[in-house]
Amino acid sequence: MRLRVLVLKEWAELFRIKMVLYSCAFMPLLMAGFAGFMVWQGRTLPPEAQGPLFNAALLYFLILPVMIPATLGVYSVVGEKEQGTLEPLLATPLSDLELFLGKSLVAVIPALLLTWGVFGLFLLAVLFMMPGGIPEGVLSLPWLLSIFGLSPFMALFAALVAMLISSRASDSRAAYQFAGLAVVPVLVPLIVYSARLLAVDLRFVALEGGILVALDVALLYLGIKAFRREEILIRWK
Amino acid sequence: MIQTLGLTRRYGERVAVEDLTLEVKAGEVLGLLGPNGAGKTTTVRMLAGLLAPSAGEAYVAGHRVTREPEKVRPRVGVVPENPGLYKRLTVRQNLRFFAELYGVGDPRRVEEALALVGLAERAEEPVATLSKGLRQRLALARALVHDPPVLLLDEPTSGLDPEAAKEVRDLLAELSLAHRAILLCTHNLAEAERLCHRIAVLKTRLLAVGAPAELKARLFGRRIVVTLARPAPGLPQVLNLPFVRSASLDGAKLFVAVEEPERHNPLLVRRLVELGAEILYVEEEERTLEEVYLELVEGDRAA
Repeated sequence: MRLRVLVLKEWAELFRIKMVLYSCAFMPLLMAGFAGFMVWQGRTLPPEAQGPLFNAALLYFLILPVMIPATLGVYSVVGEKEQGTLEPLLATPLSDLELFLGKSLVAVIPALLLTWGVFGLFLLAVLFMMPGGIPEGVLSLPWLLSIFGLSPFMALFAALVAMLISSRASDSRAAYQFAGLAVVPVLVPLIVYSARLLAVDLRFVALEGGILVALDVALLYLGIKAFRREEILIRWK
Repeated sequence: MIQTLGLTRRYGERVAVEDLTLEVKAGEVLGLLGPNGAGKTTTVRMLAGLLAPSAGEAYVAGHRVTREPEKVRPRVGVVPENPGLYKRLTVRQNLRFFAELYGVGDPRRVEEALALVGLAERAEEPVATLSKGLRQRLALARALVHDPPVLLLDEPTSGLDPEAAKEVRDLLAELSLAHRAILLCTHNLAEAERLCHRIAVLKTRLLAVGAPAELKARLFGRRIVVTLARPAPGLPQVLNLPFVRSASLDGAKLFVAVEEPERHNPLLVRRLVELGAEILYVEEEERTLEEVYLELVEGDRAA
């Protein structure tokens, strides 16, 4: 209940900032545009060459769920500190877990909706662009699982890292500088994908999913431990 | 409703609050006075369950702040020095958010709290458009929306212009009529005198606590000022009354400290007339809370 209240308040506040709205809309559209452009360029290639190109384009939809929460999540705590709104919030019965999880979901849910939304748009565009439709075997189960099954955990990872940075940062500029770090660990499997060091199969997706779940749980635990109410109140006048 | 027992808080080597023992009963307003850095905000934060004491214990609405901060928080309304409102949200959105966090299910409570602080008409306006005084009123509404038995107010009129400060004070005067325990931290001595049943002077340690009149009597005694028609040198020396603690003359004003003015004043006046003094006025000397405060704080500094 309190989690839902916190999430709705954060959205009401966040989406009143036009720059946030624009940046949230711009980044997914840009990524989908890049992906679409790649497919457009490869439309005349033989079908066997189109597959790898199409897969490379899909990587954009694995980067998006990481980039958006990193941007949205980083302001969550440091912003409250700067506005002086954290003390009344901490005086409520809200627990650290609710606060951390709630503020993470604020960043994760829009990131997923936007990612999946522009992915749908991308598929529609591909159907129009490619006379033969989507190359066979490209939208395989492991890829679909990556985009729909792994992206929530990737987004949560990025949001939790951003939150961790946000709760420890001394000001918002420093927090934004460090927020880029949220993306780095999640890029590792993407590099593996794109370099085709490993085949994108169910085993790989399951392994990645397992690692992400473990990382998310560890980060949530670490984030709550590192969220020191007293220190925040004393250091932030 | 609020009770502290040897409450102490240290920040590293620095002691912010030391061995604070006091009590605020239901229906009582206790003013916490003290210079900057005296530990007022730290005390409020400890009582709100936001800071853990380094030693001692505090009970708020029957719960120990050290063991049950999660039970203390819903029973306390806090107005911090900075109202800490979400400026992009409207007045109603701010209040509804906190009401829901406090588990207030009835939306009428939000409207009642808005009406109480006189903000019902401006409920749909963003907080950013409100004046400082109105923001402070909204912070008060936020502290009251869950109807807590304990209110902790940390300098609620600080930084407000006189008119806005008066509005907030009037509101606090109304609130103090309800059956709540209120701890009011303030620098404004007139405000404390007007609103508080008792005053506690804090300078890391508790220097004194009591009703304003009690503190004045305790520190300065009760002095009678007798205005004479003309100066009468030597009069203090010949008064010779057992209930007179001290007497001094300043021009045509005779200052006499007596034990019980209500009983002893007629005897004093009779004796003065016998001695040939021509009396124009007899009144009790008015000591201000400022004098009490300065006496305590500067006395502590000298010690």
